[in-house]
Amino acid sequence: MHLMRIIKYFIWLTLYNFELCIEKHTPLLNECAGCVTVYITSCIKEAVTYINAIDINKFTRLLSRIFQRVHLKEESLFSKEEEEKLQSALSLEKQALSLVLETVSFIIEQAVYHNVKPAFLMQQLENVHLQTDKAEAFSQAWASAGPDTIHMFRQKIFAPKKLDHVGWCLNLQMGQSTQAKQKAPCATLEFAVSSEDAEGPERVFVQFNHQELLEFYNKLEIIQAQLDSLT
Amino acid sequence: MSVPGSAKGGVMAEGSGFLGGRIPVEIDAMARHIRDLDKELFRKILKAVVSAVEGKDCRDLMRSIAENSDVPEDRLSLIVAGMYSLLKEALRLPTSSLKQEVFKDDLRELRISEEFITDFASVVFGNRRAALEAAYTHQQPRLPSIEDLQWRVDVAISTSSLVRALQPSILMRMKLSDGKIHQFEVPISKFQDLRYNVALILKEMNDLEKRSILKIQD
Repeated sequence: MHLMRIIKYFIWLTLYNFELCIEKHTPLLNECAGCVTVYITSCIKEAVTYINAIDINKFTRLLSRIFQRVHLKEESLFSKEEEEKLQSALSLEKQALSLVLETVSFIIEQAVYHNVKPAFLMQQLENVHLQTDKAEAFSQAWASAGPDTIHMFRQKIFAPKKLDHVGWCLNLQMGQSTQAKQKAPCATLEFAVSSEDAEGPERVFVQFNHQELLEFYNKLEIIQAQLDSLT
Repeated sequence: MSVPGSAKGGVMAEGSGFLGGRIPVEIDAMARHIRDLDKELFRKILKAVVSAVEGKDCRDLMRSIAENSDVPEDRLSLIVAGMYSLLKEALRLPTSSLKQEVFKDDLRELRISEEFITDFASVVFGNRRAALEAAYTHQQPRLPSIEDLQWRVDVAISTSSLVRALQPSILMRMKLSDGKIHQFEVPISKFQDLRYNVALILKEMNDLEKRSILKIQD
């Protein structure tokens, strides 16, 4: 399946570059014009045939559902029961359904990668012989859900350890073995740090008195000033 | 007999005062043995006991005192134990609740001589007090605190999912007082969360410290 994606990617890239050539009116235009149609593989053709057969309303609903879940890399788009339901609803076989879902998510990922405009997306879809109403539905869904999807992809960072959650509790220390009659406020911060391979988050507990917390806050303010200077 | 400035009068025999309901055995014993002690020796022992209270190692000091003086060892150990207990108890109470005069009166009730009382009072109420209290904060049971915080702001220009990402992120490296080093990446949204929470705790702390219900005077 992965190989198929790479092949599809090359085709898409060629199509995209072709579009760029047209826009910039470079001399490559004449050379490119002949080679585009040759590169559309049977996979995309097959997927397009299946998609064209789907009822337009069902297709629109399917699209919005896929848009919601395409950024979740680890989980598949639909659970097993949902896939079976889809098979009967769209009257597609298992292989056909998985091809359709793959193609749609691939198109979305490429649109996200290049941050394409809806009009350009519609044109590209029509070029691969998708029906006009389906292409329009796709580009409309991209226009509405696209920016959010891009935003979600942008938020995904991968690092060995990532801060998941911060919890805190504020105590008033009234006494200890070496000192009586204290009135010292004391804050405990919990940093839940998750890493890729560990089971659950690692919890780091840190204690602060008033002075230490103030110093920590000043450091956070310096970082914020740096972030502000970026924009 | 009436002791000036002491409202307690002869009540000390029952043991009220800063030492509590019953005078600890070692302090009582010390009070008795200290009477005929040489002043210089007393000062040396006091110095050793103060460094012990601070948490320093004073075995060499004690050994030299024991060897150079002619006080029998069991008597010396009673004196040292008594002085250590006395100082610990006196330092436990903050200066706002235990006043110097009251402290001196309590010691007079134990029948310790005046010059020794002045020496004790200078330890408990003098300049050394701040250093002693600082030593205490390190000894108390507590969770690790941040010793050092290093950070770095990165901007991801391009990733495998987006050709133009331009997404900032923060890398933090925390060194804690128990020696552990934690390095992790903080997404911007979590960083704002953290900043908000820390500001909230600071505000709560300020409110807490100002509230009049806590100005409980003892």
